[in-house]
Amino acid sequence: MKLKVYADRMSQPSRAVLIFCKVNRIDYEEIRLDISKGQHLTPEFAEINPMNQLPAIVDGRFKLFESHAILIYLACAFPGVADHWYPADLFKRSKIHSVLDWHHSNLRRGAAVYVMNTTIAHVIGRPSNPQAAAEAEKLLSSSLSKIESIWLKGNGRFLLGGNQPSIADLSLVCELMQLEVLDEKDRMRLLGPHKKVQQWIENTRNAMQPHFDEVHKVLMKVKEKLQNQRLKEANKAGRSDMKKQLISRI
Amino acid sequence: MKLKVYADRMSQPSRAALIFCKVNGIDYEEIRVDISKRQHLTPEFAEINPMQQVPAIVDGRFKLFESHAILIYLACAFPGVADHWYPADVFKRSKIHSVLDWHHSNLRRGPASYVRNTTLAPALGLPLNPQSAAEAEKFLSSSLSKIESVWLKDNGPFLLGGNQPSIADLSLACDILQLEVLDEEDRTRLLGPHKKVQQWIENTKNATQPHFDEVHKILMKAKEKHQNQRLKAANNGGRSDMEKPSHSRM
Repeated sequence: MKLKVYADRMSQPSRAVLIFCKVNRIDYEEIRLDISKGQHLTPEFAEINPMNQLPAIVDGRFKLFESHAILIYLACAFPGVADHWYPADLFKRSKIHSVLDWHHSNLRRGAAVYVMNTTIAHVIGRPSNPQAAAEAEKLLSSSLSKIESIWLKGNGRFLLGGNQPSIADLSLVCELMQLEVLDEKDRMRLLGPHKKVQQWIENTRNAMQPHFDEVHKVLMKVKEKLQNQRLKEANKAGRSDMKKQLISRI
Repeated sequence: MKLKVYADRMSQPSRAALIFCKVNGIDYEEIRVDISKRQHLTPEFAEINPMQQVPAIVDGRFKLFESHAILIYLACAFPGVADHWYPADVFKRSKIHSVLDWHHSNLRRGPASYVRNTTLAPALGLPLNPQSAAEAEKFLSSSLSKIESVWLKDNGPFLLGGNQPSIADLSLACDILQLEVLDEEDRTRLLGPHKKVQQWIENTKNATQPHFDEVHKILMKAKEKHQNQRLKAANNGGRSDMEKPSHSRM
């Protein structure tokens, strides 16, 4: 019985799990749940994951949720997964645990809350919270600085001075990719100062192609759609500015 | 060279690390880092943990922070730690990972934030933030409900249906103990509805005595101090009420 992965490709941790499976040739069936349509909130899915969140996996009779727990399980349970993803060495492994733990309360909270309250909330019909967005931006910026000064300190191509990616690189980079849906101006303001982070994102993407880009296609389509909407709105605003000027002259 | 544990016993994750060491007979030196005196923000401590948070450990040349990563490391690196703390079985272990991960974004955000924004803020030199406190309370209540309906679903004395405690029980119980410093009324309102949680906390405490209570002494002293302050404030309120009418008659 094949591994089942319940995922929404708009969800950062869902993407990390899917990419991991593809890169490591783990045979799986993807079951798509659309968060924007509330498909994660059904009683059927609650049988799979009582927390009603994605991603979740079912491997035979074993069910698991929380993406970091899933990535670790897959690295351990499936043969052929190279050691660098989740090293057997206790010291290296512990450092990866500390990145993954730090991630929850820092980068993830900053990035996810910021993107939700500036962009996604509007798309899925939820109210947005500008104050939460402002606080999230601070957390996001400080997290990006910490990634540069601490996790990328060793001049390796990957976190913790690694020469090859681990599940920590995969998880954090998928989170940062969510910033693609932001207004270009905001995205540049947030990421622009962090050259090391930008390089590391590239390194991580390159190490996981073509799967990385393939799994991110849905996100990129949403990015394009939002960019077009913003252009339309900018044009409309331009035209109504001109109207106002004309009217004021009458 | 003995294990060094940098801790502040007012910090929930610090307490979890200390109790784990004591219960498992791990030889260590505790180095107190007083958060209320900003000792975690010194350049010296930044050498130990560049994130400037407690707990942190130094084992020989190996430094580590993030309490879950620390608990896992200790369970693996020290002989004589019983399997139930962090089982070798990949399925049981994965479930523990999912509790620990869930904890970061749920329960941990609750008590820590709620207590900080209502009671401990003045001691830490932080302004009180009633809105954050309100949100934290919502998180906390929903997290306590989820613990009962999901993690304690199997009616074992411990999380995930366990008959013995794991590092997940220790971590989450220490977080909930932080509520001890609250006003008795608030604490009863928050914890009162959750009988299963209350029982599970008792089970966890009993399984780790006398160390659990010993490590929590400082918190209990802080609880007593806050209770006395509230009593005084209530009495002062009474006296100034009596003074007002005589002023108005002058």
